[in-house]
Order: sequence, then structure tokens, then C-alpha cells
Amino acid sequence: MQRARNIVAATLAAIAVATALPALAQWTPTKPVEVIVHTGPGGGSDVLARAIVTMMEKEKLVPVRMQVINKPGGNGAVAAAALSEKGNDSHTLGLVTSVWIANALTTAEAKVTVHDLKPIAQLMLEPAVFAVKADSPYKTLKEFVDAAKAKPGALKQSGGSVTSRDNIVRQQLQHATGAKWAYVSFPGGGERLAALLGGHVDIMVIEPQEAGEQVRAGKLRVLAQLSEKRLPGYPDAPTLKEAGFDIQPTPQVRGVVAPPAMPADAAAYWEGRFARLRETPSWKKYVADNQLEEHFLPGEQFRASIQEISKQLREQFVLAGIKVVR
Amino acid sequence: MPPFARSGDFWSGLVLAALGTYIVVSARGWEYMGEDGPGPGFFPLWYGGAMIVLSLALVAGAVLGRRAAGPPLPMANLGRALLCWAAFVACIALMHLAGFIVAFALLTWFVIAVMARRPQRVALPIAIGAALGFHALFTWALEVSLPRGILF
Amino acid sequence: MEVFSGLLQGFQVALTASNLTLCVVGVVLGTVIGVMPGLGPSATIAMLLPLTFKLEPTGAMIMLAGIYYGAKYGGSTTSILLNVPGESSSVVTCIDGYQMARKGRAGAALGMAAIASFIAGTFGVVALMLVAPPLAQMSLAFSAPEYFALMVLGLTMVVLLAGESLTKAVLAMLVGLWIAGMGTDLFTATSRFTFGRLELLGGIDFIIVAIGVFAIGEVIGNMELEKPAQMIPVPKGLRNLLPTWDDMKRCRFAFLNGSVVGFLIGVLPGAGATIASFLSYGIEKGVSRHPEEFGHGAIEGVAAPEGANNAETGGALVPLLTLGIPGSGTTAILLAALVLWGFKPGPLFIQDSPQLFWGLVASMYIGNVLLLVLNLPLVAVFAQLLKVPSYAMYPLILGISIVGVYSVSSSMFHLGLLAGFGLLGYAMRKLDYPTAPLVLGLVLGDPMEKALRQSLMMSQGDLSILLRPIPSVLLGIAALLLVVPIFKKFNAVRVQVIDREA
Repeated sequence: MQRARNIVAATLAAIAVATALPALAQWTPTKPVEVIVHTGPGGGSDVLARAIVTMMEKEKLVPVRMQVINKPGGNGAVAAAALSEKGNDSHTLGLVTSVWIANALTTAEAKVTVHDLKPIAQLMLEPAVFAVKADSPYKTLKEFVDAAKAKPGALKQSGGSVTSRDNIVRQQLQHATGAKWAYVSFPGGGERLAALLGGHVDIMVIEPQEAGEQVRAGKLRVLAQLSEKRLPGYPDAPTLKEAGFDIQPTPQVRGVVAPPAMPADAAAYWEGRFARLRETPSWKKYVADNQLEEHFLPGEQFRASIQEISKQLREQFVLAGIKVVR
Repeated sequence: MPPFARSGDFWSGLVLAALGTYIVVSARGWEYMGEDGPGPGFFPLWYGGAMIVLSLALVAGAVLGRRAAGPPLPMANLGRALLCWAAFVACIALMHLAGFIVAFALLTWFVIAVMARRPQRVALPIAIGAALGFHALFTWALEVSLPRGILF
Repeated sequence: MEVFSGLLQGFQVALTASNLTLCVVGVVLGTVIGVMPGLGPSATIAMLLPLTFKLEPTGAMIMLAGIYYGAKYGGSTTSILLNVPGESSSVVTCIDGYQMARKGRAGAALGMAAIASFIAGTFGVVALMLVAPPLAQMSLAFSAPEYFALMVLGLTMVVLLAGESLTKAVLAMLVGLWIAGMGTDLFTATSRFTFGRLELLGGIDFIIVAIGVFAIGEVIGNMELEKPAQMIPVPKGLRNLLPTWDDMKRCRFAFLNGSVVGFLIGVLPGAGATIASFLSYGIEKGVSRHPEEFGHGAIEGVAAPEGANNAETGGALVPLLTLGIPGSGTTAILLAALVLWGFKPGPLFIQDSPQLFWGLVASMYIGNVLLLVLNLPLVAVFAQLLKVPSYAMYPLILGISIVGVYSVSSSMFHLGLLAGFGLLGYAMRKLDYPTAPLVLGLVLGDPMEKALRQSLMMSQGDLSILLRPIPSVLLGIAALLLVVPIFKKFNAVRVQVIDREA
């Protein structure tokens, strides 16, 4: 009698689990999804988010509408806080960049940082190139560095804020070669390029896609590229390693995160969708057109990548004299 | 009360001098001149300092009775204006709980019925109509999000 | 001539049925967006981007551009009628526009705003067409030292905006500088005056301060009396519904001033329409034969800044289309749109895509005409709005202010800030502090500080970088502007002394 009851109980349990399992594996979104970005309309993350949303719809990867929500302010802290407030919502995602990681280190006011959020997937890396004006006397990066060594502080680089990749790679180079050159921050990419084209600064780090047209028109010369392998758009420019500088530039990543308590099935769903996205022709075309470096990492590996980048950035900030608060 | 204590210039000058002092003190906590140029403390120190100097000049002018000591500290009707402002603040606080429609309707009703002392048959329809109108125009037609409260 | 053949080709493109329709849609939408405070062209353009993939790129660009310059037309409406700036760049229009409305000349103000916008907008397109590439090259000579000098010149406008008490005007400006400095310092990543709040890390958005100080402050002030006189008299008769010939004659220089200043400032990446409108207003007041009228309803005080912010649109398109450099927030999105559609904005853009460029230019001529035709009759419509009794008008203003601020920031904290600035605006009114210098300091403070520090970084601490040709000229003018009034006063005292001795 006891054994029969046990068998029935075990069978019932097995049936319960069997019916529950498919439900776990098949979560799909049922209402519009919000993608939170930390820039205003037209900013880098905003444009990428809108492109992703368009591609997702075009390739019919998601059954619901996706919408981009701008939460600018606080250097990403406002967007991070907004994501954290969503708790266990399965219909909210966030687009992060290395800026979030950098600002987590320097912004004391932020109560929530990227480390509190749930990583879904890393999508890509943003390569960059060192560019000078076309009539500049420097034909290679080494020539520039040597000139900077000869006259410390006389040469100038334009770039973003002091915590941006532009400055970090400058710090790394200075540290490795003993050269020294000045850094002038401009808040907008347009101003940085204008400063270089106008001859007010000598060099800048610029995204390959921004530089593309200027190079084609003969206004800029690319000295070296910050990537592992040569980009298809710049077959002639050496990478930093090839140019003789043994520097590992801190990667500029772009990835997707979710609110901290998003359920596992929803997170798995989103991870799957983004993995699927990179196989689509729209995505491949986007990456090629914008000269990005594809580098997909699923959730947990993305978390490890974030932590590694954070470590590197902290080292660099301390070396550069930037106050680190976490 | 000495005449200058009734002067707007006197009190506003003191407030601004205090603000200027706060700015200067904060600025001293930041780098004045870095190796690359002026640091974050440079500008605040200067405009904070200028604020202190000018506001003390204003105070002095009021005390010394020059320029008819500016406008008198306005007591008349201050109460009504501040009441309206308080209602505005309350509206915003309420918005956090109850959303735009309810809070705005209440504010509109308050302005018409209490501040302008119009009868209820005028105040109530306008209040409700305005709140709904805003909702219709912005949330539906233009897809601009209005504050949503915790409750609504 | 190459320009004319290009333009002809452009008109052929712009006058097709679909492109014409898109132009109309764009300018109408832009006007509506401009009228609504807080809602801006950049957010609207960003929202419409997915839609544009279904359209042909030239047509899409025509529509988006229509939204961009259309918004500049609409921005003056609430500025004049309600003292609420519809666009950041319409803040200056509030100063005299609202005063004109209070004197019953709202129609003339609205009409003049439309006319000035048309003249300057068309000038901007003509200039874009004729001098874009060489001007873009010249604008590259402008960098941090030149910007710093320009900002200093702008701040000395305080002297011209002062009114009675220079001390109070400067104090208001200093408070504006302080608010402008709030946030994270770009160069050192230090947080300044954030009071531990992360919402303040990016600083306080200018429009929140402007709406708070101008609109909310005004409403609260008007609440003092239980039965205020009808707040805005409805303009009666055609004379007050539209500007008169007299008005048009008075504004001759303002049209030129707004067009040129707006366009040139627009070409400079980084300097925006708000700076252009302030500078244009200051110049107009400086050369006027009756400067004391400014601030109390001088119609040139509406024509100059409104013209400037429209010409700025044409100017901002210059670096975008000839160098691929976005000059402002909205042009950054237009750049992103062009890239998304597969274009490559840069020095070779006009060569490679003449159809888009000339089609766009031609559509801008058409758009400006459409906007004039659209806006002038609207003056009569909007003037009727003034029939609303004041007790219903005030909540309306408060409601629009809340919506405007919320649409920019989506945050209750910023609504709280709005209330705070409203109280500040009221206090300033009661204590006789002029509000325009506060806004001026707020707009110019941050760019000026950045420009100075960038300049010194470029020169490694050497101040003589500021004595390059362009900055020297601008700083010289600023110095003159500061010295001349003091000189005049000194002279007046001297004459008094001489009189007494005689």
C-alpha cells in the first residue's frame, strides 16, 4: 500500500514538473518592451538602441513593440537608477557602455551602478583610431610619440572627459613611453573634430566611422588603430601592437543589461534573442557599415568582462590622478 | 525697527552674501589651479567672491540710506502669493502619489475657487475639463508622458 | 552658374507631390512642437526616425528639417502670450514680447515674430546655399579662445540689460553662473554643487530655470491681487492684430541683425540659438535710439532674437552638410539619421549627394514661405486665446509649465526644482532684481568656463592665447561696452560739476 502511494506521488510529482518545465522555457514578452539609454535623443547609445529596435522588428525577433526611453543625466546614474527601480520587470532592458563602468568608479552620488544590474549580453566593442590632420608632419604614431618626448606638454590631443577612453589610452601610452602631451576636453564629438581640423590640437582618438569620410576627402590621416586585428575599413593602418606599442587599450564595450531581479527565464529569453540577432543580415550590415567590432558574450561572461574592465579602469584612474570613490 | 531693516536690498544682500560665502568655501575644497590649467575651484572662487563684494555693497547702500534703500520689504499681499505657491508645491507632491489628472484638477479648482473666489459652478467644470483636456492632448494626441502617480 | 543649376535641380526635387506633402507635414508638426514648451524638435525627430525608413531619404530629410526650423517659428507663441518660453531659444522673446502683449499688442508681437523669422530664415537658406563650403572652412579657425571671447562679449550684454541697478543685474548674473556650474566638471570628473543628489550631476536644465523664473514667478506675482485687471488685453482692431508699417520700418536693422548674427553663430559648432538670440538682442538694444524702451515692449526686441534663432537653423546646417560635424543637439540627430539612411556626411557630401542637398535647400525656401502663410492667420486665432479669463489662464500656464518640464526630465525632482525657481522668480520680481541677466549667466556660464580652461590647456597656461586676432577683437568690443557707460556717467557728472561752477 505504501509503495503504491509512493509511486502515485512520484508520478504526480513527475507530471507536475514536466508541465512546469515547458512553461519555464517558453517565456515571451506580452507587453511593449522599454529600452533605457543614458543619452538624450541623438546620442551614441540612443542611436544604437533605435537601430537595434528597428532591426528586431524587421527581422521579427520579438512579438511586441520595443521602445527607446531616454533617461539622460547623472552620467548614466539616472538611467541605472531607473533600471534598478524596475525590480523584477521582464519588459525592461538597458543599453550600457563603458561610460557606465567608468562613472561607477568616479561618481559618489550614484546609488545604483552597472554592477547592481543583471547583465544579459555583450554586443560589440567600439574600436577607434588615432588620427592627425592630413598635412601633419607625423606619418606614424611613433613619430608623434617621439616628438612629444622631445617637447613634453607641447603637443595636444582633443577628446572627451578625462575618464573617457581617449584619455585612458593616452595615459597608458604616456606611461609606457615616457612621453607627455596635453589633453583638451571637449564635450561634443563635433567640437573635437573641429579642433583637430582647425589645427588647434595635433591628434585625436576618433571612431573609425566618424573618421571615414574625412579620410576619404583627404582631410585626416590615420596613424594607428585601437583594436585586436585590423579593421576592414583601414587595411593600411597598423594596430597599436603592430606599431610597436605593447598596450592593451581598455575596451569600449556596448551591451545589454536588465533590472536586478529579472526572472531567469526572461533573462534567458533575451540572451537568446540577442544571440539570434547577430546572425541576421541586418545586424551584419549594421556592424559593417559602422565599422564596429563584433564581440558577443552571454550574460555571465559579460559580467566577468565588466568586472575586468572596471579593474583596469581603476588602475588607470589612480595613475592619472582621478579620484576613485568605489 | 531701523529703516534699513525694512529694505528689500538689505535682506537680499545678506542672503546673497551668505550664498557667496558658501560658494567660496566650497571652492576652496577643490583644486584652484591644476597642472593643465584652472581647476574646478577657479571659477567658483571668483564669482563667489564677486557675489560677496557686490552684495555687501548692496547692504551698505541700504544701511547708509542711499538710493531710497530700494523697494520696501513687501508685506502686503505677500500672503496670497505665497499661498498660491504653496498650492503649486502641494500639487506637485500630490502628483507623485495621485498622478497628473487628479493633482492638476485640484490645483485648478484651488486657483479658481479659492484664490479668485469664483463660484463652484465655474470652478469645478473648468478644473475637471482642463485636467482631462491636458490628458487628452498630451497623453493621447502627442504621446507625451504626464506624471503618473503611485496610485493612479 | 553652378549654384543656380543646383537650385533648379533642387526645386524639381522639392516640388514633387510627395516631397511637398512631407514638407507641409514637417513644418506644421514643427510649429506645434515649438508652441509646446519643453517639447523640442530633437526629441520629436528621434521619435520619428523609425518612420523615416519607410520613406525615401530626401523626402524624410525634408520633413525632419521642416520640424527643425518650424519649431523656431512656434517657439515665440507662448513666450509672447504667456511668458513661457516654448523653446530655449525663445527665452529672449519673452522679455519684450510678453510686455507687448500686456500692452495689448500681442498680435503685433506674434506677427512680427513670424515676419522676422521668415526674413531671417530665408536669409539663412540663401547663405547656406552660397557660402557654405568656404564659411565652414573659416569656422574651423574658431576654437576655444574665440569662444571664450564671444562668451565674455555676451556677458557684457549684462551691462546693456541692466536697467536701473547694475549691481543687482550683475548679482543676478552671478547667481546664473553659479547654477550653470552645477554638475560634474568635464575636465576633472569632480562634482560641484550637487548636494549629493544624482539628479544634479548633469546640472540643471536651462529650460526648467527659465520656465520657473519667468512663467511661474509671474503667475505667483499676479496672485497677489484677488481681482487682477484683465491680464492681457485682447488686441482690438487690425492695427494691433498685426505689425504696422511703422513697426516694420523700426525693425529694418533688427531684420539684418537677427539674420547675420543668427547665421554666423549657427555656423559655429557649440554655440547655439539661445546665445545667438541674446547677442542679437543686445546688439539691437545697443544701437537703438531709444534703448530705454527695451524690456518694456520694444518691437525690435522681438524681431531681432526671433530672426536670430531662425537664421541659426540655416547656419547650423552648414557644418553638418559641408564637414559632417554636428553643431548642436538637433543637428546631431539629423547626422545620425543621415548615417542610418546610409549616407556619409562629410566634406564630400554635397558632391556625392547633390540631389539631397539641393532638394533640401529648395524645400527650405518653400518651407519658410509655408510657415509665414501658416503663422500669420494663426495670430488672429491665438489672440482669441487671450479672451480666456485670467483665473483660468493661470492654472493653464502652471499646467503647461509642469508638462513642459516633465517632458524634458521625466522626473519629480525637477518639478520640485521648477517650484523652487518659481519662488525665486517671484522674489526677484518683488525685490527689483532683473531676471534676464540670470538667464544670460546660466546660458553662457558653462560654455565660457569650458572655453577658458580649454584655451589654457591648449596653450599650457599661457594667457596670450587669448590675444589671437579674433579673440582680441571680441574682447576689445567687450571692454568698450563696459567702459563707455562708465565714461558717459563720468562725463555727466563732470558736466554737472562744470554747470555748478559756472
